[in-house]
Amino acid sequence: MIKTMRVPSTPRRRQAASALLALGAMLSAGACSVANSGPETSSGGAAANTVRIVLPEEPPTLEPCDASLTATGRVTRANITEALTERDPGTGRLQPALATEWKQDSPTEWTFTLRPGVKFHDGTAFDAKAAAFSIDRTVGSEIDCNVDGYVFGGIELTATAVDDTTLKVKTAKPDPILPLRLSFVEIVPATTSATGKVREPVGTGPYKIAKWDTGRSLRLERHAGYWGKAPEFAAAEYVWRAEGSIRAAMVKSDEADVAIGLAPEDGAGDSAVQYPNNETSYLRIDATKAPLNDIRVRQAINYAIDRDGLVASVFAGLGKPAGQLVPEGVTGHSSAVQAWPHDMAQAKKLVAEAKAAGVPTDTPIKIIGRNGIYPKAAEAMEVVQNSLIEAGLKVEIEMLDVNAWLEYLLRPFPKNLGPTLLQAQHGNQAGDAAFTMGQIYGSKGAQSSYGTSELDSMIAAAEQASGEERQTAFAKALEHQSKDVVRDAVLAHMTGILALSPRVTYKPNAATNDEMRLADMHPAG
Amino acid sequence: MLTFLRRRITSSAIPLVVVILGVFCLARLTGDPANLYLPLSATPEMRAEFAARHGFDQPLYVQFGEYLAQVVRLDFGESLRTAEPAAEAVLRAFPATLQLAGATMILAILGAIAVGSWAAYRPNSAADRIASFTSTTAASMPDFWFAIMGVLVFAVALGWLPTSGTVGALAWVLPVLTLLIRPFGVLVQVVRGAMVSALSAPYIKVARSKGAGELRVVFGHALRNAAPPALTVAGDLTVGLVNGAVVVETIFGWPGIGKLMITSILQRDFAVLQAAVLVTAITIFALNIVIDACYALLDSRVRQGVTT
Repeated sequence: MIKTMRVPSTPRRRQAASALLALGAMLSAGACSVANSGPETSSGGAAANTVRIVLPEEPPTLEPCDASLTATGRVTRANITEALTERDPGTGRLQPALATEWKQDSPTEWTFTLRPGVKFHDGTAFDAKAAAFSIDRTVGSEIDCNVDGYVFGGIELTATAVDDTTLKVKTAKPDPILPLRLSFVEIVPATTSATGKVREPVGTGPYKIAKWDTGRSLRLERHAGYWGKAPEFAAAEYVWRAEGSIRAAMVKSDEADVAIGLAPEDGAGDSAVQYPNNETSYLRIDATKAPLNDIRVRQAINYAIDRDGLVASVFAGLGKPAGQLVPEGVTGHSSAVQAWPHDMAQAKKLVAEAKAAGVPTDTPIKIIGRNGIYPKAAEAMEVVQNSLIEAGLKVEIEMLDVNAWLEYLLRPFPKNLGPTLLQAQHGNQAGDAAFTMGQIYGSKGAQSSYGTSELDSMIAAAEQASGEERQTAFAKALEHQSKDVVRDAVLAHMTGILALSPRVTYKPNAATNDEMRLADMHPAG
Repeated sequence: MLTFLRRRITSSAIPLVVVILGVFCLARLTGDPANLYLPLSATPEMRAEFAARHGFDQPLYVQFGEYLAQVVRLDFGESLRTAEPAAEAVLRAFPATLQLAGATMILAILGAIAVGSWAAYRPNSAADRIASFTSTTAASMPDFWFAIMGVLVFAVALGWLPTSGTVGALAWVLPVLTLLIRPFGVLVQVVRGAMVSALSAPYIKVARSKGAGELRVVFGHALRNAAPPALTVAGDLTVGLVNGAVVVETIFGWPGIGKLMITSILQRDFAVLQAAVLVTAITIFALNIVIDACYALLDSRVRQGVTT
C-alpha cells in the first residue's frame, strides 16, 4: 500500500514539475500584458482636465456612417465628427453646424452654404467636395451604412459641390425634411475609404481620437485647430462596464465623472440626474388576430392598464404616462392625444360586450416581452398581465432576448402565431414623426402588423407636407390612430438616469442617450 | 506514457468536434443577425445583400463546410460587430482570462493546502470546525452577489479598491477574490478529507517513529499522498474557471474570453463566438490532458490501467 502510494521516482517528478512550470509561465507571461497596457485610469485622482465617462458598452466602431447606432453615435457625433446641420434637442429646431444656412430652391433641390475655414483633424480643408463625398458615402453606397437605413431608407439623392462653400443636393422625390435628415450625415474628408468602413474616423469635431485600446478604454483629445469655441476639458476618457450598479459605483468612488444608462435600483444616490431620454414604451397590439381584431378589446386593453401605477411603482416614478409614441418637442406631436384613463369597469364592460357579440375573448393572448428593454421590463409586463386578466382576457408572458424579440418586431413575422402584444419602445431622436408613422403604423411598415388604408393615406400626405402643415398633418394622423385604429397601448414617455460626479457640470437632454456632447461638460466651480 | 497521452488525446478530440459543430448550428438557429446589424427600417434588398455578403443565404452544411475549410487555413472569419478578424479578438481576450484563472487557482491551491492541512492536523478541533464552516459557506456563495457586495464594501464604502478595470495590482483583488471563493471552499474540503486519511495512515506513524519533524510529516509525507485527488479537483475547477469567468468579467469589465463570449452570443457575432468556443474548448481539452498526465505521473495505477 505504502509502496504504491509513493510519489514516482525523480525523472517522472521532473516531468510533472516541468508541465506545471510551463503552464505557470504561460499564465504569468500573459499577466504582464494586462497589468501594464492601456491608458485606463485607475481609481481616483484623474487629471483635472480629463473627463472620465463610463458607458454600458464599448462602441463596436466609431464609423461615422454608423452613428445612428447608439453605442457609436454617443461617442462620435458632435465630438469627433460633425454634420451640416444639428437639431436642438430642446426646441426641435434645426441649427447651423458645418453649414451656415440652407434654402430650398425647388421641391427637389436644396442649396447649402458651408462654413469657411474649417479644417479636419488631419489638416485638410473642409469644403463642399468633402460634404458631397460624405453624403454619397453614407446614402445608397455599398458599405451598408446604418444611417442610410435608419434615416434615408431608399431615398435617392445626388450631392454636388458648386464651389468650395456651396453644396447642391437634389432628391428624386420632394423631401421637405432633407436638412433634418442631413443632420445625421457625419462629414469626413474625401480621403476616407468609400468602399469600406473605417473604425477610427477623421472629422472636424472638437475632439480627435488619441488612443483606442480595444476592450479597455478610448481616449479623445482636444483638436487644437477646431473652428468653434474650444471645449473646456482637454481630454475625455471612456471606459465601459456592463453592470449598471458598477457604473454608478464608479462615480461614487471617484473612478468616473459621468455614468450613463442607469436604472433606479443601481444606487447612484445623490449623484443621479434624471432626463427625458426620448424613448416611449408601448405594447404593439396585433389587430389581425381574434380577439384583438375587435376594437373593443383593444380599447379594453388600454382602459385596463394603470399607467400612473406602472410609472409610480415599477418605473420608480421615472417617466410620464403617455398616450402617443411622439412626445412633445418632436414634429407631429398632438396635444389632443392624452394617456388613456385607468377605468377597469369600462375595460370589463368592453370585454363583456365583445364576448356577447361572439368575439373569442378567452383565446390566450401572448405578451412577447424583451428582457432589459428598460429597467424592470419583466415586472412591467406582469403588471400589465394582471390588469388584462382582471379585465377578462387570458394572457401569458414570454420574455425574450433582443435578437429573438426582433423576429417578432420586424416583418416577416413568425408564422402560426396567435394573438400577441409586443413589448416595445420607440426612440424619437430623429425629431420628426416621419420616422415613427410609416414604419410603425403604416400597413406595410417594417414594424407594423396592422394598418388601415385611411391611416396610410394620412401618413403619406403628412410626409410630403412641410412647416406648420406638416405638424398638423402628422398630429391628425396620430389622433386618428389613437381614436379609430387603436393599434397599440402606449405606456409612458421614459426617463433616463445618469450619475454625475461633483467635479463636472453637465445638463443631459433628450438627445443625451444618442449624442453626448463633451463640449457641454464643464469642470465644476 | 506516450500511449496513454495518444489515447487520451484521441478520445478527447471527439467531444471537441461535437462542440464546434454544435455551436455552429445552434448559433444559426437563434435568429437572423441582419435584424441586429441593420436598422429597423432596412429594406428587404438590404437584408438580402447582408445575408449574401456573409454567406448566410447558403444551406447550413455549405456554411459549415466553408467554415471548416477556413479554420484549417487558420482563418476564423470576421466579426460582424467590429469587422476585425475574429482570431484577433479572441487572442486579445484569452490571455486576460488565463491570467485571472491562473492567479486564482495558484492562490486557491496554496490557501487550501494551508487551511485544509491545518484543519486535518487536528480533526474536530475548533480550528477544523471554523475551516469547515467557512469553506462550506465559500463553496456555496453566489459569485454575482459576492462581487457586487465586494464593490459596495471595498470600493464605494471604504474606498480601498477600484470597482473594476485592469490597471494596477489593486484592480486584481476583487475579481480574483470573487473567482477564488468557490474553488477555495471546495479545495479546502478536498484537501482536508485527503489529509485526514493520509495522516492516519500507517506510514505516517513510521515516519514519526523515525524522528521526522511535524512539518515534514504533514507537508513532506502526508501531503504528497493527499495530492492526487486534490490535483484532479483543482484541474476540474480550473477548467470551470476558464469556462465560467463570464460573471466576473462582465461585472468587473475584465476584457476576457467570458465577456467576449457573452457579448458575441448577445450580438449573434458568429465568427467571434465560434473562434472563442474553439479556443476555449481546445484549452479545456489541453488542461484535461495535463491534469490526466499529472495524475498518471503521480499515481502509476492510473497509467497502467489505461495502457494495459
